[in-house]
Amino acid sequence: MAFSCSRLSVAYGSRKALNDFNISLGAGEIRALIGPNGSGKSTALQALAGLIAPTEGMVEIDGKVIGSMSRRDIARHIAFLPQQPAAPDEMTVGQLVRQGRFAHVGLFKSYGPKDEEAIDWALESTGLADFTDRSLKELSGGERQRAWISAALAQEAQILLLDEPTSYLDIGYQIEVLDLVHRLSREKKVGIIMAIHDINQAMSVCDHITVLQQGTLAFDGDPAALAESGLIEQVFRVKGRFVQIAPHAPPHFDVELARWGQA
Amino acid sequence: MTDALRDRGHAAGWFLPATIVLALVSLVLAVFIGVVDIPPSDILATLAGHGSPEARSIIMDIRLPRIVTGILAGIHFAVAGLILQQITRNRLADPSIMGISQGATLAVALFLLLTVYIHDPGSNTLAELPLEWMPAIGMVGGLAAGGVIYALALHRDLGPLRITICGIAVGAVLHAPAISLIAGWGSARIEILLEWLSGSLYARSWKHAVFLLPFTIAGLAALPLLSRPLDLLRFEAPVARSFGLAYRRQFTLALVLSCCLAASAVGVVGPIIFVGLIVPHLARFMARRHHSLVLPLTIALGAIVVTLGDLTGRLLGQAEEIPIGVVTAICGVPVLIFLLRRTP
Repeated sequence: MAFSCSRLSVAYGSRKALNDFNISLGAGEIRALIGPNGSGKSTALQALAGLIAPTEGMVEIDGKVIGSMSRRDIARHIAFLPQQPAAPDEMTVGQLVRQGRFAHVGLFKSYGPKDEEAIDWALESTGLADFTDRSLKELSGGERQRAWISAALAQEAQILLLDEPTSYLDIGYQIEVLDLVHRLSREKKVGIIMAIHDINQAMSVCDHITVLQQGTLAFDGDPAALAESGLIEQVFRVKGRFVQIAPHAPPHFDVELARWGQA
Repeated sequence: MTDALRDRGHAAGWFLPATIVLALVSLVLAVFIGVVDIPPSDILATLAGHGSPEARSIIMDIRLPRIVTGILAGIHFAVAGLILQQITRNRLADPSIMGISQGATLAVALFLLLTVYIHDPGSNTLAELPLEWMPAIGMVGGLAAGGVIYALALHRDLGPLRITICGIAVGAVLHAPAISLIAGWGSARIEILLEWLSGSLYARSWKHAVFLLPFTIAGLAALPLLSRPLDLLRFEAPVARSFGLAYRRQFTLALVLSCCLAASAVGVVGPIIFVGLIVPHLARFMARRHHSLVLPLTIALGAIVVTLGDLTGRLLGQAEEIPIGVVTAICGVPVLIFLLRRTP
């Protein structure tokens, strides 16, 4: 699998939300997309998923430009999870996860054993096998997020794009989601790009980190290089430093709160 | 389907057979009860093919065609409403709220003005109207209204609120000229047209039912093909598209199907309001989590609501019967308020 974008630009009217953006993603690689609010993370993910047409540049998967592929074809390669997706009322976990198979089942055919297998696998990997008949409304935030990830998994796509999958979850659920993401990349060789706000979480689970600033790529490299670059302080306009907490763990960003400085 | 069987704690599994039984009961009631009292034995004899001439004419030429036309129209409005509610993700969507019925009404009013008034100013009964064209003309009007809504809403994005507000505006704009056309019509025919406008099954013959039937068959045959896209259209566009749905194409197909169903029925029986709004709510309320039951329940309930509504109108009004559209409007409001109170 080869997934990349080159010179990708997106404009909303006259405002350029994404400018000359280039990244690539390999099988089993996890890439974090970080940057301040409004820096173009969601736009980049949606353009990568083929949901918004770029004004310039293109996204390629295995040498094919996704702009020329059908939605169905794209969905077999790329699964995308927007921020806080809304499900129809009264939908159960099982019904949601079944929707993930849409791209694999012909309009005139019904679900085959392969589809049922994929659905079962998706439910089991997210620990939701016993939740199939539960309404999404009854679930906790973490369980609901897992259900959505499960639907994306049922798509059996080799690329998973996640827009802030951990936002609005408590720390326990955040770690749960990150563990799941990590497992998918290592065990299933799924390539993952996720927008995420927590820098330390990004540093600890991701192989590569991409920093966006006002729609432009400000950094692209591994966590250690990011720690050395001093870019975080500048991009996020904070004071802090990277500290080595454990010998083999990636460095931890320790932010300095303004109030402490004054005291 | 299987999730319906797995469910033990909830009564949803019973609702579909119960609804089908109720549909049959309402059909029997509508055949046996009417303004003219016919002995049940005579009715049975008629149905078996050897009743009295009077019973024959009342049952076979008046009641049955009227009931069948009503059932078909009920199914049309209910399914059209269900599709609209799903694809616009709006619980208040309905062919008459979204402007589709008004488009059909205006087209039919224009058509009647041009043909009947210009060619034959003397005729004054609906039975003499060129009804074989009415479902088709209504459909053209409904599709045109749907097209206007679609174009306005699609201009930037198909948000549910935007499309509903566009529909209300388009409906209001189309309704006014239809009414003024009819108001300027002359007193002889206006009464009959007003009856049609309020949604009426009065004097509907086999011709009406036969004209509606191909639309019903084609519409219902298209539903299984659209069922999986319709499932995905219940999601917001980015989610549906990333699951692999060609959103615009499928949205358009579903909207066209809904317009065709609603507008062809308007052409034959006039805009029977609220059926398309209330029936899908009732169906969802009964089906609860069993989404696969919603469509069959909607079809059965659409038939029941119109059959029983028309029977009520016939009995309450006696000779001066109350149009079905008035009955559904009056009965629909409390149901709507009840359903809205239950929704978060």
